[in-house]
Amino acid sequence: MIDTKVPAPAPPAARGGRHDTLARAALLLLRGRTLVVLVVLVIFFSAISSEYLTQSNLILMTKHVAINAILAIGVTFVILTGGIDLSVGSIAGLSSMVAGGLLFTGLHVPGGTVFFSVAVVVVIGIVVGALVGAVNGLLVTRFKVAPFIATLGMLYVARGAAQLLSNGGTFPDLAGTDARGNTGFHVIGVDSWLGIPVAVWIMVVVAAGAIVLTTKTPFGRRIFAVGGNERAATLAGIRVNRVKIAVYVLSGCCAALAGLLLTSELGAAYPDTATTYELNAIAAAVLGGTALAGGRGTIVGTVMGAFVIGFLSDGLVLVGVSTFWQSVVKGAVIVLAVVTEQAQQRLQSGLAKRVA
Amino acid sequence: MAEKLEARDVSKNYGGVRALKNVTFTAYRGKVNVLVGENGAGKSTLMKILSGSEQPTSGEIRLDGEPVRLGSPRDAQALGIGIIHQELSLFPNLTIAENMFAGRELRRGGRFVDERAQKRRTREVLARLGQEHLSPDTLVGDLPIGQQQLVEIGRVLLTDVSVLIMDEPTSALSHHEVDVLFGVMAELREQDVTVIYISHKLDEFRRIGDWVTVFRDGSLVAHESMSRTDTGWIVRQMVGRDPDSLYTHNSAPTGDVLLEVRGLTAEGPVRPLVDDVSLTVRAGEVVGVYGLMGAGRTELVECLMGVRKASAGTVSIRGAEEPKATVQARLAAGLALVPEDRQRDGLVQTMSVRDNILVSTIGRFARTGILRGERERRTAAGQVKELAIKIPGLAAAVTSLSGGNQQKVVLARALLTEPVVLLLDEPTRGIDVGAKAQIAELMARLAAEGYGVLFISSELAEVRAMADRVLVMARGRITAEFAAADVTEEGLVAASASERALS
Amino acid sequence: MNSMRRFLVPAGVAALLALSACSSSSDDSSGGESAAPAASKLIVVITPSPDNVFFKAEQDAAAAEAKKLGYETLVLSHDDDPTKQSQEIDTAISRKAAAIILDNAGADSSEAAIQRAKDNKIPTFLIDREINKTGVAVAQIVSNNAQGAGLGGQEFAKLMGNKGEYAELTGKATDTNAGVRSQGYHGILDQYPDMKMVAQQSANWDQAEALQKTQTILQAHPAIKGIIAGNDTMALGAWAAVQAAKKDIVVVGFDGSPDVVNSITKGGIKATVLQPASKISQMAVQQADEYIKNGKASQPEKQSIDCVLVNADNAASVTDFAVAGS
Repeated sequence: MIDTKVPAPAPPAARGGRHDTLARAALLLLRGRTLVVLVVLVIFFSAISSEYLTQSNLILMTKHVAINAILAIGVTFVILTGGIDLSVGSIAGLSSMVAGGLLFTGLHVPGGTVFFSVAVVVVIGIVVGALVGAVNGLLVTRFKVAPFIATLGMLYVARGAAQLLSNGGTFPDLAGTDARGNTGFHVIGVDSWLGIPVAVWIMVVVAAGAIVLTTKTPFGRRIFAVGGNERAATLAGIRVNRVKIAVYVLSGCCAALAGLLLTSELGAAYPDTATTYELNAIAAAVLGGTALAGGRGTIVGTVMGAFVIGFLSDGLVLVGVSTFWQSVVKGAVIVLAVVTEQAQQRLQSGLAKRVA
Repeated sequence: MAEKLEARDVSKNYGGVRALKNVTFTAYRGKVNVLVGENGAGKSTLMKILSGSEQPTSGEIRLDGEPVRLGSPRDAQALGIGIIHQELSLFPNLTIAENMFAGRELRRGGRFVDERAQKRRTREVLARLGQEHLSPDTLVGDLPIGQQQLVEIGRVLLTDVSVLIMDEPTSALSHHEVDVLFGVMAELREQDVTVIYISHKLDEFRRIGDWVTVFRDGSLVAHESMSRTDTGWIVRQMVGRDPDSLYTHNSAPTGDVLLEVRGLTAEGPVRPLVDDVSLTVRAGEVVGVYGLMGAGRTELVECLMGVRKASAGTVSIRGAEEPKATVQARLAAGLALVPEDRQRDGLVQTMSVRDNILVSTIGRFARTGILRGERERRTAAGQVKELAIKIPGLAAAVTSLSGGNQQKVVLARALLTEPVVLLLDEPTRGIDVGAKAQIAELMARLAAEGYGVLFISSELAEVRAMADRVLVMARGRITAEFAAADVTEEGLVAASASERALS
Repeated sequence: MNSMRRFLVPAGVAALLALSACSSSSDDSSGGESAAPAASKLIVVITPSPDNVFFKAEQDAAAAEAKKLGYETLVLSHDDDPTKQSQEIDTAISRKAAAIILDNAGADSSEAAIQRAKDNKIPTFLIDREINKTGVAVAQIVSNNAQGAGLGGQEFAKLMGNKGEYAELTGKATDTNAGVRSQGYHGILDQYPDMKMVAQQSANWDQAEALQKTQTILQAHPAIKGIIAGNDTMALGAWAAVQAAKKDIVVVGFDGSPDVVNSITKGGIKATVLQPASKISQMAVQQADEYIKNGKASQPEKQSIDCVLVNADNAASVTDFAVAGS
């Protein structure tokens, strides 16, 4: 066991000390690479544009980040168990359309139309996301469908359902009326509290909850165990299927919440809402150091990843870079992040070997 | 007696660690040269250097007296040096024949794979390995580990090797398969092939070896003709102490029946994997289950633990039947399993030592849903101390531990569930002699504390030394039962080949 | 168990092969010389996603007109994906459609598929978007995007008082109309030396993307007085951003969608350019009907229909992509 793989040519023993110090510094830098990248981005863009590092722009960019961050936090739960959720963009679209429909046209029941208050609509929207997530979870556990396939299928089903709700059309006005008692949907997506957009507060609450859940609860520990070695987790007495269903439900809830924020901000619900957002969310998780194989990753990393993607995209728009270049740069940053992750792993095991 | 392959004054450093210290080793032509030593003693490192996958930091390698450079496994192969690794390097999704010829397919018309010729030669090799009943079209993934190992060996036999290095090839083989392998080795010796054989199994390599070389802590400590050694001498060289102290025998008085199994049956594709098994384990008792690979031993403990579904039978723990047969229910009732394959079923490789120890019982460390870090740390540290687990720290990756310490981590986890009966499936597999002794001692200690212990082993010496009572399994059935005093190797071997269930 | 698996896999493959063999054989028969044009009464309508109300109106108008003339219809959407469009045209061919009404997924990437329909003796009538080649489709009935963009540009300049900073949101770069409209705007706007474009970004025709990009642009250029968008969904996104920023900014769109027209009546978005979508669809179906009956085209291939400016003056009289009385 011990004398198996040893990476990288080792330096002469006499100089080991200095090399170790250097290696440790490099490792520290690599571990915090998402933060490093973020700082570099901020410095870079503020050098180009004086508008970048203003309070209002930082708040705005953070607000843009919020939606992807919430989606990505949900996806991180799933990835930590070794699964993947490709359906989050579509779930966001579906919950957006459900909420939009309830606010704009109401619920048709025998004998008339019922309108719900905004709070109830938001809850219904999130419940829809939870239910779709539960279906994903059941497909993965009970029916043994590979997560990639199950959620890919759900990507289409949920999107189609969103389109069916309005026959492809847009619910253009979600302001509600006093008579119907359903005004105030704009609060979550447009309004601010203490100078910070409500959407950002929501992201902070979701992230804090997710951090506590993953690091401070037995459930969180079980998520990591299932993702690290499912067979061992089973033998350790963990109800693996329950854990898996739970993470897909969490992911569905986060997706639904993100969809509602987006819709509230836009003041309109259209079936294409959040199309391909699942890719941004997965990218944020990967950027933040979550291993697609499962078992490794942090919520903080994912949120940082979302910040990097958001601050990068907005920065490129701010300085007027064309859409095509924005795409190229974003892709390159994601791949680079994974490359540095490999470097980190190598360095880490190299150091561990030397210490051993 | 001619020197075939020599390592002269070879050292190997990994960073600051010296894995080999000025080793001069000689393998003689047409002989079986056995290498022994605890894990980490440097055997595998030397073999990697001799097979070209690692380069020595200093020193030289000579083949037939000429200095050679083994820059890569390919160089070594070209010089006729073949190696069979401890870890299998087979493709489970390909057939036996396809595996045998993977990367060097026989061609027909220069382009197409000549499947017929491949299958013919595969059948020949399988026959040589005593596996003529296997079809070359069988998927390797469907074979038990022991037969996969034979396929791996067959692959090397297909090439023209003058030096064959075998790194613990028998760790997964049954007795019959080991006999076949030794037959093949004897045949190779006749053909003037030089065999270098690494093994942990003292009782086995004495049967086949001509020369024995003992490694300890990166140095070569002894090199002797096998006929001039005995087991005690070898073990003394390996561990630097007396072999009789290796295994601790349980001497605790037995108490109440803790585990009672009646008529347990699990269906298999052809015949029941577990066939009407009944047994009891009492407090303070260490019960050994001996049997060959595929005898249904692992399946038995899997049924007991609720991982595998039983089709019939009852399991009672402390006199109460446990009917739900889920892992959670059996854990709660007081069973705990330390599985055979640590890497596959035991460890969560991505987690720390602490988290691995606590993963089964993590729910206990939360108050109002939030984990209490200090209680976690205290409990994990307590287990580490209790079982004398050597770790760099509680937060260290569990994969950084040695095999024996990893095994103890899994054991610590099982003990935390407060079991009354511990099920241990091959608890000493793949760990070195020193760690084996510690595990044996632990088992005896646990029995003395009033636990019931049921352990599985395919090593005769181990079962004899550690168990109060030995059950023998064959074809899913219990075929014999011996009290410690009555165990003989002949009796165990005969019963393990028996077709008849003990009634 | 293993033998079972190894049996099932080849069986499954065989079943798949059999299926694909069936479908391809039906293709062969329809593509052969036995194809009888005009034998069916099916008109296939293919447009971009009806998510956008403009295309929905297009679909609805075409389908209604075809039904009125006694045809069956099959309405499909290619979601701006040329590959999907090609498959849908194959569907039309195998269904032996009498004609295809197509709002195509991209000028260059659509020609081959239209040619294939022609080779199978199915006439294609293009609406809304042109292709570069002539002689492939029977008719190309498009709204005059350049003329419309000119109208929009003029109105935008007027609303801004011929001066000040503005931003432009362009459509999907692969879409011909995105370029035509942008050029049309600039043909007018670049004549005013006091008007200065400070940002130009593609929002890919998408509402949410337009919202976020507008917000960022407003950060970079707080002095912006106007935003001109390549279509109405982007104009709506931009307007949401303007509202959130509580700024007084002129927003002008293109399409004449009900949501924007509604916004204009309320004094939100200032103007849009209405493309007579319903009218174009109806014309295409009518010409298809004549072609099916007479075997030849009744109109020249390239037909350009003028757009109409919608602003506060006439917004009230607009319904379903048509200005009453025009």
